[in-house]
Amino acid sequence: MNSRDGTILGYLLVLASGTVLQVLAIRSPERFPSLGRVFTHVMRTKTGRVGVSVAWAWIGLHFFAR
Amino acid sequence: MTDAAQGAAEDPLVAPAGEMSVSLGQAALTGLRQPIVAILLLIALFTTISGKPLDGFLMLTVATLLVWDAARSRLADSAGSSTIRTAGAWAPPAPAHPGAGQGQPRGTARSSKRRVGLVLAWLTAGLLYADVVGSFKRYSWPATASVVALGCLMVAVGWQGPVRLRNALTGRPLRRARLWAVVLVTGGLWELTSLLQQPHLTTDSYAHPTISALTDPLLASHPGRSVALGAWLLIGWFLVGR
Repeated sequence: MNSRDGTILGYLLVLASGTVLQVLAIRSPERFPSLGRVFTHVMRTKTGRVGVSVAWAWIGLHFFAR
Repeated sequence: MTDAAQGAAEDPLVAPAGEMSVSLGQAALTGLRQPIVAILLLIALFTTISGKPLDGFLMLTVATLLVWDAARSRLADSAGSSTIRTAGAWAPPAPAHPGAGQGQPRGTARSSKRRVGLVLAWLTAGLLYADVVGSFKRYSWPATASVVALGCLMVAVGWQGPVRLRNALTGRPLRRARLWAVVLVTGGLWELTSLLQQPHLTTDSYAHPTISALTDPLLASHPGRSVALGAWLLIGWFLVGR
């Protein structure tokens, strides 16, 4: 395995961890929060809401804007 | 205790009732101490040095506005105009009509139809946006203007604060929410590690590709860009509903 494969594997592991967490949250919501519930919690406050909105906007800017 | 008061009590930035006068510097520090401001400033720095000054400028602008907003609220609190500032805390809006939402079958059916119509309208607008903006070349001025406009609109909507009551996470789910933080931070650090291993911040590395470099082939074509923009819009829709 070369460096490129290792780097991509790292991204896939992060993605897999998120997927596992989400599946756990769906199967036992009383023990694990889903990503949606976490965002809902974070976005209860104005600063949290602005922060998440900015993060979303940044993704668009990063991939499409100059 | 009201939700607004509870939100304020949980927020260390809320000035206690009866607080004495606060200097401008102290008020500004209140805003600067918000973690989100530090995160935005870091993003502004890294995006600027990696050749995206517009991203950096916009992040810096939002960070500055957040500091200004928090400082203004802190000054207002100290002046005794309010013991609860608006930033960080919120109050659920009053219903537009007294009794709204109470069982009225005809009204409910009409409201349901209206909601379906609204969803279809948003869906059509989203598809059009994804198709039209996807037809623009990446990093071109039309693509930049379209994405910046929508991003600013989203932030402006977020600035109004939550529009309805939400249940906070408590107990075990709240503690385990940290697992999500670990996943997201690990992803961010992995991306940052790849970025720092590039030959130059603005030159991709084959051996250590960033997510941007890996998505370049997808975003090279009009359909690929439209699909990516559609996914971005869907995530935005999901977030607006939080």
